[in-house]
Amino acid sequence: MKAAAGIGLRAPHLAEIDRDRPKTGFLEIHAENYLLTSPAFDIVERLRTDYALSVHAVGLSLGSVDGLDEHHLARVAALVDRLQPALVSDHLAWSTNGGRYFNDLLPLPYTEEALEVVVCNVGRLQDALGRQVLVENPSCYMSLAPSTVPEPAFLGELVRRSGCGLLLDANNIHVTAHNLGLDPQAWLDGLPVDAIGEYHLAGHAVNEADGETILIDDHGSAVADPVWRLFGKCVERFGARPALIEWDTDIPALSVLLDEAHRADLVLAAGGRHADRAA
Amino acid sequence: MPTALREWQAAFAARLCGEAEAGDRRLAIHRHHIASSLAKVLAATFPTVQTLVGGDFFRRLAQAYVARDLPVQPVLAEYGAGFPGFVATWAPADGLPYLADMARLDWALNAAFYSPRGPALAAADLAVLPPERLAASSLLLAPGAAVIRSRYPIDLIWAASQPGAPDEKVDLGLRAASLLVMRRPDDAGFMVLSEGEAVFIEGVGEGLSLEAAAGAAFAVDGVFELTRSFGRLLVCEVFAAVR
Repeated sequence: MKAAAGIGLRAPHLAEIDRDRPKTGFLEIHAENYLLTSPAFDIVERLRTDYALSVHAVGLSLGSVDGLDEHHLARVAALVDRLQPALVSDHLAWSTNGGRYFNDLLPLPYTEEALEVVVCNVGRLQDALGRQVLVENPSCYMSLAPSTVPEPAFLGELVRRSGCGLLLDANNIHVTAHNLGLDPQAWLDGLPVDAIGEYHLAGHAVNEADGETILIDDHGSAVADPVWRLFGKCVERFGARPALIEWDTDIPALSVLLDEAHRADLVLAAGGRHADRAA
Repeated sequence: MPTALREWQAAFAARLCGEAEAGDRRLAIHRHHIASSLAKVLAATFPTVQTLVGGDFFRRLAQAYVARDLPVQPVLAEYGAGFPGFVATWAPADGLPYLADMARLDWALNAAFYSPRGPALAAADLAVLPPERLAASSLLLAPGAAVIRSRYPIDLIWAASQPGAPDEKVDLGLRAASLLVMRRPDDAGFMVLSEGEAVFIEGVGEGLSLEAAAGAAFAVDGVFELTRSFGRLLVCEVFAAVR
């Protein structure tokens, strides 16, 4: 797959993309939105012929101590088998517990036990799909008392033990580093250099209350300047990879997404240099 | 076997579901995301209900439902089966007696939208059967086909809630309604049925022979005309195959 920028395929743009076939590196769909047949799924099947696809799952709950939901896993595997996407990914997080699905990427304490759980779940996923998957770094809002390992080291060990790749979300690094008081450069330095298979870029919200600023990963605006700079550093350090513009709330016109993807393409082409001036 | 992570995740999940904790802004970010994102999911699945009651009222209704019934799995197009029943019992909606029926209609439209579209039975497929075989046949309904009944004219209420509809009041006492909801090529929609047609399709759906289903229809609707109604339903591709 080419190291070009792509966009998240969202419902308001389906008909327009189906009609106009705009040029973009790839399209990413959320797996959970296409596990049932529908007129929307019919469009994705048509788009397959013109675009590379990425299937991004949000609900496999790779961090669940109870293991993967085999029924859900079978549905995701059937989708991947049918669409034959170039990339498949989910998150370092959990979203299911006690038969409840929280529709959120909940934080995982980084311990040896959690690592064993995630390695086991990612292994089960890769076995079911018959391919390597990418695991995305989450946005974090709280330091968890049981954690004993820094997040990059946890991800590196996950890669080493499971054979998965990493989906590096530059916005999530920025959000997590701000919220937990970490140095984003040190965070990047802690990752294995050859494990990155894809980048994500998105906007975040700034929430100020009680004299404290918390960044919230809401995918509801343009990519912020510090995130573009961090993306440039990622590309310098790890190389050009497929890079996705994600926008999930207050979704703008398609042309806005394509402009953001164009800017990401310029950063990729420049090897990460001048990321703050690429607009 | 209890483990540290198992206990930690169960405790975290319990805090998410429990009463809000004063001073915990960071946990509140997750609580807020769960409530608001699932309310948006319900708004997408029940668009007519949202239009009828407005965004603020719907958010309170949806968040009350979310607090009672979280999804059990991640495919959110399948979330909300219990919502129409919840609407019927939610006290602030007592003054809108048709609202639960509108929720049932939205739910059926959502289910039809996410149903596979297969080959439909055509008149030519049935023409090869001798008349007595046809009468004794039972048919499979197309996936997603469902009859929704209400004592209110929910087809008119639905039409009045669509974008661009003229601002006219619907007379709630005008008549009852029986609708056939179906997947169509590019969306889901419904058609209005006579009482006899509704009983006929429900009978077919239960596996009755065409003759028996027609008999049930005649029993409730003296003007039911099998040939005319059957032809109309066949053209709408409501039948998938001979069982």
